[in-house]
Amino acid sequence: MATITMPLAGVRGRQVLVVRFTAAERAAHWVHFVAFSVLLVTGMFIYLPWLHAFAGGAAGEASRLIHRGAAVLFIAAPLVYLVFSPREFLYSLKESFTWGADDVGWLKNAWGYYSQGKLGTMPPQGKYNSGQKLNALTQIISFGLFVITGLIMWFGKGSVPSNVFLASVIVHDLAVIATVLLFMLHLYLVVLHPMMRESITSMFEGTVTRAFAEEHHGKWYSERVLRKREEEFDPLSKK
Amino acid sequence: MSSIAMLVDTSKCTACRGCQIACKQWWDLAATRTKQTGSYENPRDLSPETWSRVTFNEYEAGGKLQWLFLNLGCMHCTQAACVDVCPTGALQHNDTGFVSLDREQCNGCGYCVEACPFRIPRLDVVNTLTGEAKASKCTLCQDRVTNGLTPACVKTCPPGALQFGDRTAMLSVARKRVDTLKAQGVAQARTYGETELGGLGRLYVLTAPPTAYGLPEAPEYPALVNLWHNLAQPLGYAGAGLMTAGLAVNWLLTRRARLSNVEEK
Repeated sequence: MATITMPLAGVRGRQVLVVRFTAAERAAHWVHFVAFSVLLVTGMFIYLPWLHAFAGGAAGEASRLIHRGAAVLFIAAPLVYLVFSPREFLYSLKESFTWGADDVGWLKNAWGYYSQGKLGTMPPQGKYNSGQKLNALTQIISFGLFVITGLIMWFGKGSVPSNVFLASVIVHDLAVIATVLLFMLHLYLVVLHPMMRESITSMFEGTVTRAFAEEHHGKWYSERVLRKREEEFDPLSKK
Repeated sequence: MSSIAMLVDTSKCTACRGCQIACKQWWDLAATRTKQTGSYENPRDLSPETWSRVTFNEYEAGGKLQWLFLNLGCMHCTQAACVDVCPTGALQHNDTGFVSLDREQCNGCGYCVEACPFRIPRLDVVNTLTGEAKASKCTLCQDRVTNGLTPACVKTCPPGALQFGDRTAMLSVARKRVDTLKAQGVAQARTYGETELGGLGRLYVLTAPPTAYGLPEAPEYPALVNLWHNLAQPLGYAGAGLMTAGLAVNWLLTRRARLSNVEEK
């Protein structure tokens, strides 16, 4: 595993800032966000019977095209990530699939922590906390399902057996349900939850304060940020 | 409202294919170039330009070869899977007993094609990349029957193999015809469509088992369509509802506990 450089990145007020996301990571995140949201809305037109007015006629023609265009963006987002930030991509991918006792502890205490602010109850977390990993994992697995079933429905119409087509519709829907539930949670925590203010600014600016990193991503902060700084620390350097 | 139905008496059909032509004529459907494939059956399949056709079936029973003719088109099921999967409402089950199609509303998803237990609807794909397509099928001449006329195919049928009217009346005609045929020695004469899928709007008098005509013996509502309705839809609503409730409770609790970002503590 390649070590990722996470240098301190300046200051905000009296707070020291730490780099959390590279430009490619942020770009991929937002392209994925936009594509996912557009796909969700245009998909809902045919999923929810009370939105059927938008599914047929001219609105239907438009949403069908928009859904396909957004699907291309959706597929492109992780490729942007992989091409422009391969080390972070692989690191994040590995993190999402790495689960241990700290994750169980985190998930158990998450409600108390996020509703009453019970500090100190949460096991230290890596670059992503267990909730973020759960969201990422669901998105990653669903991404595969979305792409496979989506391509079957797009290009396989008439050439795949009926049951394969009908099953694709169901799997596509189940993947929507799984991702939407975690998307709702994710959106709530970063937009509305008072303890997570920096989570969303870090996805715009790429940085978080050291205090936030220590509190929410202690393992990542001490293992990756501090150790890296220590390794690079050279008092005799003329720089 | 009493329901209507079309009766196809295969024992009277002479395979003139007048019904095929009348259908094309009324709906302005183009003729298509076909190839001789060794059968009088032509065209060999339904298509966006052929909503109704006569199938030619060879059936051997008791050392006797029978040539069976079947007028085939939408069965107008009461439990219509195509209607249930249609996301735009383009397909509707009309109370009077037929499945209508509003091609303006159709978005070309093709779900109906895959859901139909009789494989009737066809998709006219204009562009695979953009997904532009329209479904087509027999609508029992929805424009004609809702204005007091009979379907075009029924109007043209010379031997009177196709009849149209009140469903109850059609059923009694069918049953009486089966009795007559049996009395004449056609042992396997039977009706088809009385109860299948809640009752079909296209009833048949057959002189051989349904499978001899290429019809399913017991057509089934597709299990995967059931699953979509009974699993995916309720699961989505329940999940989203529970999540919304949970998040709302959490939000109220965070306000009460006056939680704040670590930076401001």
